Amino acid sequence: MKAPVLADGDVAADVVIVGAGVVGAMIADQLAGEGQSVVMLDSGPRIDRGQVVENWRNMPIKSRAGSDYQGLYPQSPFAPAPLYFPPNNYIALSGPDGQSYAQDYIRAVGGTTWHWAASCWRHLPVDFRMKSTYGVGRDWPISYDDLEPYYCRAEEEMGVSGPHDAVLQSPSRRSRPYPSDMVPWGYSDTRFAEVVDPFGYNCVPIPQARMVQPWNGRPACCGNNNCMPVCPIGAMYNAVHHIQRVEAKGVLVLADSVVYRIDTDANNRVTAIHWYDADRRTHKATGRAFIIACNGIETPHLLLMAANQMNPAGIANSSDQVGRNMMDHSGFHCTFLADEPLWFGRGPEQTSCMVGFRDGAFRSEYSANKMILYNITRAIPATQQALKMGLAGQALDDEIRRRVAFGVDISISLEPLPDPNNRLTLSKTRRDALGLACPDIYYELGPYVHKGYDAACDQLRHIGKLFNATEFDITTKLNANNHLMGGTIMGSDPKDSVVDGNCRAHDHANLWLPGGGPMPSSSVVNSTLSMAALALKSADSIASILRKS
Amino acid sequence: MADSPAAGRFRPPRSWRRLIPAAALCLVGFSGSVHAATIYPAETVRRGHYLAMAGDCTACHTNPKGGTPFAGGYGIASPLGVIYSTNITPSRKAGIGGYTEYQFARALREGVRADGTHLYPAMPYTAYTGLSDDDVHALFAYFQQAVAPVDILAPKTHLPFPFNLRFSMVLWNAFFLKNARYEADPSRSAVWNRGAYVVTALEHCGACHTPRNLLMAEKTGRAFAGGPVEPWYAPNITSDPISGIGGWSHREIVQYLKTGAVSPKSQAAGGMAEAVSDSLQYLHPEDLDAIATYLETIPPVRAGTDTRAAFDFGGPAEFEAALRGVDTGQGSLASGAALYSGNCASCHQPAGTGTSGQTFPVLFHNTVTGANRADNLISTILYGIDRDAGGRRVFMPRFDDKSYIQPLTDKQISAISNYVLQTFGNPKVQVSIADVAAARNGR
Repeated sequence: MKAPVLADGDVAADVVIVGAGVVGAMIADQLAGEGQSVVMLDSGPRIDRGQVVENWRNMPIKSRAGSDYQGLYPQSPFAPAPLYFPPNNYIALSGPDGQSYAQDYIRAVGGTTWHWAASCWRHLPVDFRMKSTYGVGRDWPISYDDLEPYYCRAEEEMGVSGPHDAVLQSPSRRSRPYPSDMVPWGYSDTRFAEVVDPFGYNCVPIPQARMVQPWNGRPACCGNNNCMPVCPIGAMYNAVHHIQRVEAKGVLVLADSVVYRIDTDANNRVTAIHWYDADRRTHKATGRAFIIACNGIETPHLLLMAANQMNPAGIANSSDQVGRNMMDHSGFHCTFLADEPLWFGRGPEQTSCMVGFRDGAFRSEYSANKMILYNITRAIPATQQALKMGLAGQALDDEIRRRVAFGVDISISLEPLPDPNNRLTLSKTRRDALGLACPDIYYELGPYVHKGYDAACDQLRHIGKLFNATEFDITTKLNANNHLMGGTIMGSDPKDSVVDGNCRAHDHANLWLPGGGPMPSSSVVNSTLSMAALALKSADSIASILRKS
Repeated sequence: MADSPAAGRFRPPRSWRRLIPAAALCLVGFSGSVHAATIYPAETVRRGHYLAMAGDCTACHTNPKGGTPFAGGYGIASPLGVIYSTNITPSRKAGIGGYTEYQFARALREGVRADGTHLYPAMPYTAYTGLSDDDVHALFAYFQQAVAPVDILAPKTHLPFPFNLRFSMVLWNAFFLKNARYEADPSRSAVWNRGAYVVTALEHCGACHTPRNLLMAEKTGRAFAGGPVEPWYAPNITSDPISGIGGWSHREIVQYLKTGAVSPKSQAAGGMAEAVSDSLQYLHPEDLDAIATYLETIPPVRAGTDTRAAFDFGGPAEFEAALRGVDTGQGSLASGAALYSGNCASCHQPAGTGTSGQTFPVLFHNTVTGANRADNLISTILYGIDRDAGGRRVFMPRFDDKSYIQPLTDKQISAISNYVLQTFGNPKVQVSIADVAAARNGR
């Protein structure tokens, strides 16, 4: 166990990690385990779970009904993240689909694993070869099989429950079983699958980083149905679990530390990063290996902001691809009342998903989809609808109950392709409280996604018919899903990509940018497990380089 | 925590430890090849295995941090210093492989090793002294024949002067060791006598539940009146209806021993959770029945200030309305009520009722919150609960600085404790910040 050296507020360590979320924390754990001294800096504060739970309980119903998962989390005045109730306009969105990129993410120790649903999907093998298979998007420079052992390790690190039955796995190509069998299906999942599966919709259990038995200091999930915005009992994986572990290994974790500058030497190796502390004093961290793990928006944001004389377009940006190819699963919802009670809303918020159209020859023409049976209790929308009907007393109660029991909400994810025009840039006019440029994002979803939307709508209308749906509705605006990908894209050619297959920057031999940013294809599944797998792959490559030097 | 000596005694049971009895049973099948010197009848070995489980040898002699069964090396906290348990596998080099049955019996009953050195009374030989010859024989057969030998020596115990002088134990034993087998009381039933034997000798319940004097010997005049097992407290289990368990039904006592929980009265935590998980749950029903029969007759000891049974305090109460509709801001929760709501109420419910099936237990009418001291309340919050009985694992996360859920400060835990005591438990008990700090440090 080697500790970083602190002097006059500056730090010297073997490894300097910016961002204390799932990616940074896992890398810190691996490298501290290797005996390296590690310092982690996070722009935001440490979070008190009980406080956040109480904040959620005290939020106005309008915010809760609108899924405000941001407002209950404390923010550092120097590290804003997007807020929507009311909007803080930290990120200026533009382009025809700009509003479809209104993201939720948390800048705090633990990162956005504070309010995720813990879905731990793998990409399909074919998702790594979109260009060669379907002639669209990009191929990864690594294959599914290259990443597969890291997927296993990431699942083991996070304590994932997933189906042991290969028929229920998506994909089923895996070298080790899930650490625990799937979270058992409730009545809603079982009944829904029974009705739709004969038509090829293929309901599968969502692999998720929680268990129905105690695991590694975590209690069993008891179905608070509150994963987003916060698991009130800590049954769900949160990067703070790794933070706890690494601090016990001697890793120095500095909260409220906003990194803004990156120094490079004549060989373009990174020599130091600079940060502002909570009192706006500036400090410096020197090291041998540097990792920027701030995910798909804040990593490219920092790289562009940190442009220096040798790297005038931004750090790691000789390809001009930093901040381009921004992706997220474009989402929409389908709601209806079934002709039988299905009782969604018991157990964790996401338990099963239709993956029948996750892949197929059609992907050369239009986007695949996944359809999550959204398992968040329908109590709030049911109440709003029943109140709108003008009911009161027992009739109101009965109607709420009926709507909760019969209500269905399907959350659909579509797959955008990497497009260099979808781009994060630095605002020329807007600055944050430290005077640092805020991000601007231009976003336009092409016909690939819109045609995918149309195809999914046909499928949803068919599903609706299977349940003799009433009040059948499909949202028309595409919503964001907070799966930030593409901004520091991975490739084998330094001319058109930012990092290599180990997430190492082409431009800087000792800088790694793991997370969602490197992912060259988005698939239709949540990105966290892929981010964690890439983190572990990076950690291995960093460890072997540090061992040699 | 696991590294701090005082906490060592009450390590969280690891799930693999439950496998020990099963693994040991497997070994019985090919025991001849393990240790072929003497072949004991399978029935004797099986009985020895049962007795080893009832005696909970594994609690001390298996290191919970990945230790091999009975290889020792586990640091047991004592007020005098850390006492390391020895290797009791049949290894000739490092364990008791070279012991004769006579030497084995002397170690068990008199605290004297084969080489003549004295054991410290962390080894409950003052209880085991009551074991019958038959049982010692069966235990010997089990350890020699069914346990896999481990050739690794356990670390030596180094206590400070004068306790490092092991011959001082001679004097101690002269005062405190009554070297005699259990003698049946003919005026009592066979069941009672069996219970007395199991409680006083085999399960050595007094090791925790009987207070100790300054020389760490059990105070015989106050048998089973409760004692500190820091940072926990082993409660009074005499038949007193107020201070002891006189208000428990026979069935409740049996159920508690078997499962570690009687709703709503009490849930086993700390060392008792281990005793249930590792030992008591495996006892034959007739032995559990016998234990309860005996416990019900232990002379009552009343604590002077007690006026109500610990399970007789409190009722449902909540302050939910007062907590809602206010802006709690982004600082830290301040009041005990708010801290309880944010950290505890998701499971124990706002009114302290627990959940309907009592997976998460009620906090009123509960011996932990109604006790005349708060050790077990504080320690439960700090260290959580991990109990494994009847195929069901009961887990409450810890809230100390090793918590994955939320590390709470001494101040926060004291505020939560006081809120719980005032609202659901014994309102006369107060928890100071220093009390929590002491329990956090294992004191």
